[in-house]
Amino acid sequence: MLVSTLRFISRGWVSSFYIKPRFHFTFYGFGWVKPFGEAGTYALFALMAIAALMVTIGLFYRAAITLFFLTFSYAELMDKTTYLNHYYFVSIIAFLLILVPAGRYFSVDARLRPQSKVDYVPGWCINIFKLQLVLVYFFAGLSKLNYDWLIAAMPLRIWLPANSQLWLVGGLLTQLWVAYVFSWFGFLFDLLIGFFLLDGRYRGWAYLFVLIFHLSTGWFFKIGMFPYIMIFVTLVFFSTETHLKILKAIGRLFGAKPQNVAPDKTYQLPSAAKGIVTAILVLHFVLQVIVPFRYLMYPGKLYWTEEGYRFSWRVMLMEKGGTAFFHVKDPHTGKRAEVINSLYLTSFQETQMSTQPDMILQYAHFLADVYRKKGIQNPVVTAESYVTLNGSGSRLFIDTTVNLAAQQETLFGHNKWIRPFKDNK
Amino acid sequence: MQSCKKSGADSASNNNSFDRKGLLSNVSTNIILPAYTSFQTSVNTFSAAIVAFNAAPDATKLTAAQNAFIALYKQWQWTSLYDFGPASQANFRVNINTFPTDVTQINANIASGTYNPNLLANLAAKGLPALDYLLFGVGADNNAILVQYTTDSQAANRKTYLATLTTEVKTRTDAIVSAWNGSYKATFLSADGTDVGSSLGQMVNQLVYDEEILKNFEIGIPAGVQSMGTTYPTKVQAYYSKISLQLALQHLQATQNLYLGKDGLGLDDYVAKVNAKYSDGRLLNDAIKAQFVIAQTKLQALSDPLSDNIATNNAAVVAAYTELQKLTVMLKTDMTSSLGILITFVDNDGD
Repeated sequence: MLVSTLRFISRGWVSSFYIKPRFHFTFYGFGWVKPFGEAGTYALFALMAIAALMVTIGLFYRAAITLFFLTFSYAELMDKTTYLNHYYFVSIIAFLLILVPAGRYFSVDARLRPQSKVDYVPGWCINIFKLQLVLVYFFAGLSKLNYDWLIAAMPLRIWLPANSQLWLVGGLLTQLWVAYVFSWFGFLFDLLIGFFLLDGRYRGWAYLFVLIFHLSTGWFFKIGMFPYIMIFVTLVFFSTETHLKILKAIGRLFGAKPQNVAPDKTYQLPSAAKGIVTAILVLHFVLQVIVPFRYLMYPGKLYWTEEGYRFSWRVMLMEKGGTAFFHVKDPHTGKRAEVINSLYLTSFQETQMSTQPDMILQYAHFLADVYRKKGIQNPVVTAESYVTLNGSGSRLFIDTTVNLAAQQETLFGHNKWIRPFKDNK
Repeated sequence: MQSCKKSGADSASNNNSFDRKGLLSNVSTNIILPAYTSFQTSVNTFSAAIVAFNAAPDATKLTAAQNAFIALYKQWQWTSLYDFGPASQANFRVNINTFPTDVTQINANIASGTYNPNLLANLAAKGLPALDYLLFGVGADNNAILVQYTTDSQAANRKTYLATLTTEVKTRTDAIVSAWNGSYKATFLSADGTDVGSSLGQMVNQLVYDEEILKNFEIGIPAGVQSMGTTYPTKVQAYYSKISLQLALQHLQATQNLYLGKDGLGLDDYVAKVNAKYSDGRLLNDAIKAQFVIAQTKLQALSDPLSDNIATNNAAVVAAYTELQKLTVMLKTDMTSSLGILITFVDNDGD
C-alpha cells in the first residue's frame, strides 16, 4: 500500500487526475466527495502515505489503518475515471484490517506496549481475508464464463498479438491458439484457485500458479500494482509456521534478536464488540456475494451497457473504445454547437467517458450547467458516441435524439437511452 | 488520391503476426524522414527568398517570397503529423502552426521592436500563420504590401520581424531534422511495442490528433460547428494567402499516405492482418480507405478562398466536416481498438 501510494504521487498522477481536470465524475450518492484543491489533495495523499507506513511498521495500528482506509477510499471516490478493481480491493482489505488485531505481534506497538502483544488470534481474523480472496477470484472466474471470452477468445486475441515484440514469447503471442489457451487457463485459474489455496495439500502448487499467472499478466499488460498486491495478499493462505519463518527473516534483516518467549497469549474480542463485529462481517460478505450479481437486473448486454459492471471483480474482460461528440442545442433558436471535449476533460477522462453511459450522463449534465451559465435556458444536450466492443466495429452507443440534460441519474435504474448492442445501424 | 495495391495481407490467416518493426522502418525511411527533409529544403528556399526581399524589397522579390511561402505551407501539411519524439519535446507543431494568428500581437511586436520567442502570447504571433499575414495580409494588394516594407514608418521593424520569424522556423526545423538524422531514428525503430510510449502508439496517437486538427481547426471552427452556427471565416488556416482548401487537401492526403505506408508496409496492412471488421460488415481497412476518398471528394466540392465558401455555401463546408468526423471515429476508435493501441496521452494504472 505504501509503495502504491508513493508510486501514485511520484508519477504526477495526483496532479493530472485530481487537480488539473475542471470536472470530476463522482459516484452515485458520493457527489460530495471532491478534491480539496492542490495543497489539500496532496495533503490527503501525504496522510495516506504516512498511515500506510505506520500500518507497515505497526505503530498505532488501529488508528493508522482506519486513517488509511478513509483517505484511500476518499481518493478513490473523487473521480470514477480512475476506478479500478484493485483500488476497490485495497479499500476492502483495509476495511477488514480495521477489524482485526494485526498490530499485536511483530510490530512497534507490541514493542512499546508489551502487554498488548498477542501470539494467537482466533481463526476468523485470518479466515475473513481468505474468504474475501476466494470471492474475488471466484467472481473474476465466473465473469469469464461467457461467449466472448471462451469461444471467441476476445479480447485476448487482440491484446496478445499487440505484445509480439516481447522477448522469447513474442512470436507465440501472435498465434490464435495461444489466445485460446490463455483465455481458458485464466478462466479456470480464477474460478478454482481460491479453493486450491484453501486446501493444504495443493497450496504449494496453487501458489506457484498464482506466481505464474500474476507475473505473466503483469509482464504482458500494463496493469500496474495489481499482480504484486495479489501475490503478497494470497500469502495469507499459508500456515502460521510459514509466516513466522518469513517474519523471522525480516526481523533478522533489521537486526532484531529472535525472541524466545513461548507463544501463549490469544487475542479475544471484548464481548461488547463481538456482536457488532459479527454483524458488520455478515453484512459485508452478504453484500460481497450479492453485488456482483446485480447486473442480472438489467436488460441488454452487460459489457455494452456497463450497468452493474463495477465492484464485481470484472477484470480485463473487454476491449472497448469510443469517440463521443456532444451537441448542445438552444431550444429557442434551434441552433446547435458541438462541444470541444478537451476544454473540460483530460484526454484520459474523455477516453473513459466515451464508453461508459453513467459518465456520459454526468458529463451531459455538466455541459448543461456550463451552457446555462452562458445564458442559454434549458439547453438540449445530446451525445453522439461511437463505440466498438471486442472488435465489433464502432456503432452508435447512445440514442442521439434523447436530451440527456433531462435524464436523471439513478442508483439501479436502467438507462433506456443506451442503444441495444445488436442493432447494427 | 493515390491508390496502391499491395500483397501480403492474408486476412484469412489465424496467425496475427505482423511485422511492426518493418512498418516502423518503412514509415520512418520512406515517409517521415523525406517529409522532414523536404520541409527543411522548403524552409531554406523560403529563407533565402526572405533574405533577398529584405535586402531590396521589390514586386518581383515579394512574389518570389510569396511563392516560396505557399510551397512551404503545403509541405508543412506533410510534416505536421509527426509531433512525437524530438518534435514533441520542442513543441514543434504549435510553434510552427498556431492559427488563427494574432494580428494585434504581431503589430505590437513590430511597433516595440522586441520579440520573445518563448512568450506564450507570441505563439499566435509567430510561425507560418504570422508569416502568412506579413506576406499577404499587411496590405490590400502587393503594391500596398510593398509599401509596408519600403516607405512605411515601421518598414525597418517589419523587415526585422519577418526575418526573425523566418530564422526561428529554420532553427526549429534544423533541430528536429538533425535529431531524426542522429540518434532518434534508432530510438524510433527500437520501441516496437504497442503501449503508449511505443513508437507505433505515439505515431497513431498523433495521426488521430492531427486528423482532428484538420477537422476542427481547418474546417469545423471556421464553419461554426462549435459556435451555434456563428461562423468564423477569418479563422481558417492561411486566411491571407487564400490557400486554405489546398492545404486541407494536402493535409488529408498526407494522413492517407501515412495510413497506407506510402507503397510499403503501413497501418492498412496491419488493420488487414488482424482482420478487423467495420460495423456494417465491411473489412475495416476497406471502410477506412473508402472514407478517405469520401472526405476528399467533399473537400474537393469546395474552392479557395475557403473563407468565401463559408460565407456563401456553408452547408457544403459542414458536409465535408461530417465526413472528416466519420474518419475520426474509424481511426480513433475502430483502428486503435482493433490493434490494441491506447488513445490517451497519460499512462495509467489499468486493470
